[in-house]
Amino acid sequence: MSNLLNSPGMLKTAVWLNYVFLFVMMLVIAGILTAALVLQYGYGELPCPLCLLQRLSMFGVCFGIIQSFRTGFSYQNTGLSLLFATLLLVIAARQTLLDIYPRPGHEYIGSAVLGIHMPVWSVIITLCILTAFALKLTVLGDSKQLTESKASDLPVMGGIANVLGLYVMALCLVNTVSVLLQCGLNECHTFGYQLLQ
Amino acid sequence: MMLAVFVAMFCALVLAYLGRRRLSVVVLLVCFVLAVKLFLWEIYSPEYGFRMPWIQTELSPAHNPSVDRRV
Repeated sequence: MSNLLNSPGMLKTAVWLNYVFLFVMMLVIAGILTAALVLQYGYGELPCPLCLLQRLSMFGVCFGIIQSFRTGFSYQNTGLSLLFATLLLVIAARQTLLDIYPRPGHEYIGSAVLGIHMPVWSVIITLCILTAFALKLTVLGDSKQLTESKASDLPVMGGIANVLGLYVMALCLVNTVSVLLQCGLNECHTFGYQLLQ
Repeated sequence: MMLAVFVAMFCALVLAYLGRRRLSVVVLLVCFVLAVKLFLWEIYSPEYGFRMPWIQTELSPAHNPSVDRRV
């Protein structure tokens, strides 16, 4: 595999595949974060503190990807994304266990999608992220030119990814303002927007 | 605290987008530490600590030989 990927013909393909992978992952996470905002503002489902931390972890995964598109691919960026994916898994698993036994004040928050509630979806999403990174490292991890590649080598995809990066930043800004309205400077509750009451 | 975590993440993303690589990583790591601290604070209960007593993790007497069945 290593020799195959380092052959001249395959190097460009490996670089292209690497950036396609990163772009698709950021696109999927941006879609999930958009859906979360639609549920919050369209359907009035206020996020709990652990839900907010899970959103934050997804922004952390996107951080590593945005870095790769802005300053070139590096395994440090992959490490940062994996760090936040791990945090996402820990938070999602703890929240799943928190509400796994329904009792007063503890039932799964929000509406179920395909019969599965948000924290369980979060576990599934994290497992998909970790599996995708593992597969990418298995297939492309040996290619030596990846760390020397820049997104500017692929102008069209690089440009679209930069726009997507701006969109992710806008989502983060909306979430930050939303947290200010919901929590103020105090601890967060799901009763309503503290600053609007 | 939640606001501080999100502000840190937004700053890290902006710095990453502007190409300030090292500074953005430092801000991101600060955000990570704050997020872990907030997570631990959220799940800690003065009554249970970090335990989850609503999940049955003890063997029932029928399956646990260490339990004295005469009591």
